[in-house]
Amino acid sequence: MSQLGTYLLLFGLAVSGYGLVAAAVGAKTGRPALVESARRCAFGLFATMAAACATMLAALLTNDFAIRYVADNSARETPTFFKALSLWAADDGSLLLWNLILAGYIAAVALRFRRDRPPMFPYALSVLFGVQVFYLVLINGPARPFASLANPPADGRGPAPLLQNHPLMAVHPPFLYLGFIGFTVPFAFGVAALLAGQGSDQWVSVIRRWTLVVWCFLTVGLVLGALWSYSVLGWGGYWAWDPVENVALLPWLMSTAFLHSVMLQERRGMARLWNIALVIGAFALMTFGTFLTRGNVLSSVHAFAQTSVGPAYLAFLALVLLAGFGLVAWRLPELRAPANLTSAISREGAFVANNVLLLAATAIILLGTIFPLVVEALSGQQVTVGGPYFRSSVAPVFLLILLLAGTAPLLPWRATNRSRALRRLRVPAAAAAAVMIAAAWAGVHQVAAVAGFGLATLVFVTSGQEILSGLAIGRRGTRGGAVRALARGRRRHAGLVVHMGLALVAAGIIASSSLAQQAQVTLTTGQSTVFAGQKLRYQGLHAQREPQRIVFTTTVAVMNPGGGAAGTLDPRMNLYPAATAPIGSPSIRRGIVWDLYASVISLQDNGGSATFRFYHNPGVNWLWFGGLVMALGGAAAAWPARRRRGPGDDHGTSALRRRTAVEVGAR
Amino acid sequence: MTSRRTRLLAGVVAAVAAIVALLMTGLGRDPSVFASPLVGRAAPNFTLPQLDGPPVTLAKLRGQVVVINFWASWCTECQVEQAALDQTWQQFQDSGVVVLGVDFQDAIGAARSYVRTDGLTYPVVEDAGSKTALAYGLRGVPETFVVNRYGRIVKHVIGPVGATALASEINSMLGTRAQ
Amino acid sequence: MNAAGTLRGARASLPGLLVVAALAAGLATLAIVAVSGHPPPSQAQRVQQIAAGLHCPICKDLSVADSPAPLAQQMRQEIAQEIRAGESAAQIRAGFVAAYGDSVLMSPPRQGVTAAVYYLPVLVLAAGLITAFLLLRRWLRPPQPDPLGAGPPPLSASQRRAVARAVAQLGEEEPE
Repeated sequence: MSQLGTYLLLFGLAVSGYGLVAAAVGAKTGRPALVESARRCAFGLFATMAAACATMLAALLTNDFAIRYVADNSARETPTFFKALSLWAADDGSLLLWNLILAGYIAAVALRFRRDRPPMFPYALSVLFGVQVFYLVLINGPARPFASLANPPADGRGPAPLLQNHPLMAVHPPFLYLGFIGFTVPFAFGVAALLAGQGSDQWVSVIRRWTLVVWCFLTVGLVLGALWSYSVLGWGGYWAWDPVENVALLPWLMSTAFLHSVMLQERRGMARLWNIALVIGAFALMTFGTFLTRGNVLSSVHAFAQTSVGPAYLAFLALVLLAGFGLVAWRLPELRAPANLTSAISREGAFVANNVLLLAATAIILLGTIFPLVVEALSGQQVTVGGPYFRSSVAPVFLLILLLAGTAPLLPWRATNRSRALRRLRVPAAAAAAVMIAAAWAGVHQVAAVAGFGLATLVFVTSGQEILSGLAIGRRGTRGGAVRALARGRRRHAGLVVHMGLALVAAGIIASSSLAQQAQVTLTTGQSTVFAGQKLRYQGLHAQREPQRIVFTTTVAVMNPGGGAAGTLDPRMNLYPAATAPIGSPSIRRGIVWDLYASVISLQDNGGSATFRFYHNPGVNWLWFGGLVMALGGAAAAWPARRRRGPGDDHGTSALRRRTAVEVGAR
Repeated sequence: MTSRRTRLLAGVVAAVAAIVALLMTGLGRDPSVFASPLVGRAAPNFTLPQLDGPPVTLAKLRGQVVVINFWASWCTECQVEQAALDQTWQQFQDSGVVVLGVDFQDAIGAARSYVRTDGLTYPVVEDAGSKTALAYGLRGVPETFVVNRYGRIVKHVIGPVGATALASEINSMLGTRAQ
Repeated sequence: MNAAGTLRGARASLPGLLVVAALAAGLATLAIVAVSGHPPPSQAQRVQQIAAGLHCPICKDLSVADSPAPLAQQMRQEIAQEIRAGESAAQIRAGFVAAYGDSVLMSPPRQGVTAAVYYLPVLVLAAGLITAFLLLRRWLRPPQPDPLGAGPPPLSASQRRAVARAVAQLGEEEPE
């Protein structure tokens, strides 16, 4: 099986190499047949990658320990579900998944553009194959998952204990990869547009929709990562400002900035070059993130410990930066379009502000993350830049973003009628003030938290109000009523839904950061303690032996202040043979407003007494729900509009504008 | 406008080169290795009870070279250096050198049985509460500190320590040639 | 000015007044919250505060306050003992830095080279705001008159009507 896998990967490298060359040559020399052959190769490439993944999966499930990756990451007693998950648990295997998803995106592009294509399609295809070539060179060179062992062991080492503790491991990496790798497509089209010299608006709609879909995946991936951290790692939090977490956030921030400023280009023809730069920047940040995660540069809980691939990723990053921004610099004189603005207080001005804030947040997080590296390179001093720094430096920017999101939808294009905008701001502003007063009354004593609750309310109410008024206007004007009105203003309404999701996420973050309580207490069997208004009694320990681990389950009874039993918590300690320390699994009683969270951190006297950490976490479920709302809103915005037949049709420009142009031009 | 283009391109190349240079420095080092600030400073004093015996105070060992080795019975890597430490003790115990084991985050019963089965001959103390470990900036076991006759830490080894490395360090401090 | 006109004038400025009132209420609330402070922290809370500023040496990214690791537990106990012994937060932190180095602090020290990181956010925001200001100013400049004197051909009456209709329809989709 090792042979089969290796040959499949080599074949994939050959196919993508051909695609890279054929598409580029075909574009340059004007030979569509070559380009078409490259396009067809995309499907073959995807099939090859799928076969390679299937081979690895088969090797894992049949315990083929002759393959080093299987021996290192799986064992006979690992449950089948986690054996399958081992496919992406460690570096080399996750690179297989990476290649598969990238090939999938290329195939999707090939499928999508099987008929009508923008003129720069061949270049984009070539760039996509080029990126695939890099990752296939890695997987055939320094990071070979199918490398075999001369003396296969009788049993494997098993997956890292932390990675086989929870099924969320199944979905977090795939969504995250779908998000990350997806940025290759807008990047390819952006570079292609620069190469082809087409600064036109044709590429915008293509790139916008792809970026939106990728953004949805990345949103889900990040939320799932936070959910995994919260539900599995047992420290009561969901975001540790770990370097790898930070660099995953950066492309998300930059692509959010793009999704807003792209509207400047669609509506007013402005910011063309800036949009391409953002798209290239998002991909560059993603590549930088990959370098940081896999290159063993910074200490992180996510770090794969491979050192030989680091230089390769760095070289690729350098190439991406040089090619991308070099092309931007090259085309700078041509792509600068004169723009005119009537007033800074307008939708255009708001989008500029949006980009400033989002990019400021990106820069702060990026610079903070690499600061230890810079300091050590310059002075040899070793420092840490951790959660407290990021929280305090990003929070003001985050609050300003909320303020903008709560007011910008009320601003029209070009110029604002001040009294109209103020009239629409009445209800949201009043709601925000009411919430702030209520929060202060309820005893929230951090200024930033009170302000944050108010701003989140502002965003929520503004967005809701705008959706409702859009429905009302639409219902009056069109036949078919509210649903048709929703469909016609779909992009705007979906965007407002995303803002509502953002408000929920913001409220969740603020509530859990400022109002959480925790306590550490050691209880003997039968002893109880009072925490956050509930009585918690340690009832005992129960040990259970499973094939791959021993599980110690402690039971804690939860009782309401009135005396009635509310339920139980059963935090566990898992003893894996491979780990020197036990891995804890927390127990969570989730509620709409707050969670009660328990983690057992040590046992004494064979379970006669246990040390627990209890947490009262308000608002975390708003986070997960809000993230889902954001992703769904994004999906609704990306949903293809009903296609109308017409000249130069489906590049997404509003049907109305096209009709207007046709009508006016015909007279 | 070609000169402007060239200047812009040059700017991009320069920026990328700077970024790459910075990130390359990161590639050269192991992020899990931390430089210890204690090397060259006075060894923090402690008084800890032996597993079986009277308490040991570091300050009272002034005038002798002390090799402080943090270990634990549950630590598999510590077993790798066990022979080296025993050998060092046998070789140098009459030359004014003390090898002192400090048990870290361990159950006393497990520690005692480890000492018995492995045949440790040098004194071993127990650091319940890890106050001493924290004073020495311990991140894990095994870690070894070599303290000179004037009470200064001259060497800090993370991970299992080798017999020859220890011997040469001790010899240079005693002023004798390696035998 | 007659009564109807005054009323109309007042009603027109009412939304503005409401928004200003809401803003004032919000800011006043924030001011009150800022000034009212909070109850002095308990011993456990003081341990938490100091521990939150220390990086658990064996964890990759957790603070001593958050980490469930045994070493972190023992550090918390150590901090509690030192608080009882009367040491200040700065002294406790300095003790850990002496043993572990600057990297045990969750945020870099505010002296020396590492202080730069604390100026970063302000500099970044300032750079962004200046760029935005310059950009908006350039966009706000009225377009240069066409040097050749011939602009696009004027619209006919029917074209102007078509444009007006289209703009009106566009205006329905969102605030104009």
